[in-house]
Amino acid sequence: MKTKILLAILAVVMVGLIAVPWIASYFYIFIFTEILILGLFAASFNLVFGYTGMLSFGHAAFFGIGSYAMALVLIHLEWPFLVSLLASMGAAALLALVIGFFCVRLNEVYFAMLTLAFGMMVFAIAYQWRSVTNGSDGLAGFSLGSFGFGLDLTLGNPAVYYHVVLTIVAIASAVLYVICRSSFGMILRAIRQNPERVSFAGLNVRTYRLVAFVIAGAFAGLAGGLIAPFLRVASPELLHWSMSAEPILMAILGGTGYFLGPFAGAAVFVLLETWITSFTESWMLVLGIILALMVIFFRKGLLGTILDWWMEVKK
Amino acid sequence: MIKTSAKKILVAMTAAATIGAASTSYAEEPIRIGGIYILSGSAATYGEFAQRGINLAVDEINASGGVLGRKIEMEFEDSQGKASVAIQAARKLVYSSGVDALIGLDSSGVAQGLVPTMPELQKPLIITHAATPDATGKLCNSFTYRISVNVAQNMKAAALVASKLDATNWTTIGPDYAFGHQSWEFFGNYLKDIKPDVNLMSETNFPRFGAEDFTPFIDRVMDSDADGVLISVWGGDLVNFVRQANNRGFFDKDFELLFTVGAATEVLSALGDEMPEGVHLSTRYWYDAYDNAVNTHFVKAYIDAYGVPPSYNAEGAYAAIYAYKKAIEAAGNTDGAAIAKALSGMSLDAPNGTITFRKGDNQAMVSPNWGVSGPMNPEYGIRTLMDLQIFDGEEVARSVEETGCKL
Repeated sequence: MKTKILLAILAVVMVGLIAVPWIASYFYIFIFTEILILGLFAASFNLVFGYTGMLSFGHAAFFGIGSYAMALVLIHLEWPFLVSLLASMGAAALLALVIGFFCVRLNEVYFAMLTLAFGMMVFAIAYQWRSVTNGSDGLAGFSLGSFGFGLDLTLGNPAVYYHVVLTIVAIASAVLYVICRSSFGMILRAIRQNPERVSFAGLNVRTYRLVAFVIAGAFAGLAGGLIAPFLRVASPELLHWSMSAEPILMAILGGTGYFLGPFAGAAVFVLLETWITSFTESWMLVLGIILALMVIFFRKGLLGTILDWWMEVKK
Repeated sequence: MIKTSAKKILVAMTAAATIGAASTSYAEEPIRIGGIYILSGSAATYGEFAQRGINLAVDEINASGGVLGRKIEMEFEDSQGKASVAIQAARKLVYSSGVDALIGLDSSGVAQGLVPTMPELQKPLIITHAATPDATGKLCNSFTYRISVNVAQNMKAAALVASKLDATNWTTIGPDYAFGHQSWEFFGNYLKDIKPDVNLMSETNFPRFGAEDFTPFIDRVMDSDADGVLISVWGGDLVNFVRQANNRGFFDKDFELLFTVGAATEVLSALGDEMPEGVHLSTRYWYDAYDNAVNTHFVKAYIDAYGVPPSYNAEGAYAAIYAYKKAIEAAGNTDGAAIAKALSGMSLDAPNGTITFRKGDNQAMVSPNWGVSGPMNPEYGIRTLMDLQIFDGEEVARSVEETGCKL
């Protein structure tokens, strides 16, 4: 019964999202595009953090390289959009394989510090390799060509691009969800709770962690590939460690225990940022206060708290 | 607590929605202009001084009957000096606040990102500070105009200044983004043309924008064979740079120094007598360089309001508001494409003389100012500019073909 009601709510949200260009003001097309992309970024991060229990401070490296891959492919090769997205995913997955190879050997704070260090290295490369990445200015001024599949879509039209993003994010989320619910996902959860026990059961914890890290990196790269055409620029701030903090904040805001928690967190984050910056420039201060309150009083995040409360009431 | 703020947001949103809906139906609604400047961080004074110039122009215009009988209303967003933030800010101003026109941009990097998106927004943009030649060059479009001096114009003037100096080995210290790199590139090319025997050194120095510590770069130049240095560091960075260079004895050495935006009054006020005497300083506009009625009025009104002479950023922003007034009156309405079209080829009496937005690339033909730092001006606590040279706007500009702009 409860599952049915939840599914119905999800369906209503989905219909609402599809209808955004017709029911909301034009500006909210941009807001929801950003929410969806950052939501996917945060959800990919949560596979590593919420499911496998590894706190990465370098997840923006994969998001950023995805955006640079997209920009470079669009500028130099002019591939169709969908193929370019695969290039973004591939580049990010490859980078995640290299970084993950070294990082998954370590635990807790050492893992966090090493991911941070690798993230900074990737940032430094993008910042200083001026001939390829255009340095601190980033890559801008690329044009969006065809979509691929022979579909005639004007990607420059924000409403069209929103629906493209919605479709891709929905498919990517479904795939991520299936991964999380599979036996593989169950083992990841077991690793979070007790890695020793998992290895005593005869499973190679390191390999599982590495695979999770690479999958998360690939989906972060996909999100990065979507953000570059949206922002019209791939710039070093997308790779900066402060960008790595955003999915952490979103996952905690929304709730790390539920698959859709990071999406809820991304929605709260972007909407609050938009509204609060209209009144004051000290949006980070307000965010800090909200986050502190969330961590102290609502440990399960917004979505987690609401869902738990609802489960209790309905008993 | 949470409830009341949610309520406030709801009220504000409803109000915004109502205003948005109303603006299309009533002629007496204000004309809205969105300003995008750096309002936080080490270059925030530039945004603040631009706001001063804008507010002065808006108050004057509103006090004398507005534009087409409507008042002008400003709305500002912080670009943080980042292209992605500025692009989102522009979308917010156009689609959420419903502005009729945009003005702003302090950074070349921001301009390179935002300018290509202007045709989508279908609103005109007048750049008042960002100097990358690309904005009115290879990235140009029919919605983007620039009222301030660009890097190409200013570096042509710089090369003319440098060609008369004794220095033969030239290097640069500049911020590590479009502005610093393009300043050096254009300066070098122009100087080589005028004076082929100069040596452009391959060791260049590009500290990060907002770097705080410039001493490694200062030391490197002092240890090199350079006898001429082009310094395109600007804003809070330039203030830090000059202080650190003083400590290192950089100015006691016999370098010929060209500061490409050194005579910004933001910087001169912050430095006072720490800015050395006898170095070449440039600015896009020097407040006592122009003897005309508009400038006399502007400088007096600005000093009355803020107690200090206007900076080039204040002047560019002030003039841009008047440019919009003239263009909107010529167009007869506030349609974005119509305003943009009216700006093309338009001439305007600005504080720095009569300026024209050139038809081929939408770049205003404005005059870079170069001078040599002199004794302190006791009234305002800034260095004076001696041997002031006002370069002809047309003469230092690239031809339309050279800009690579195709409109």
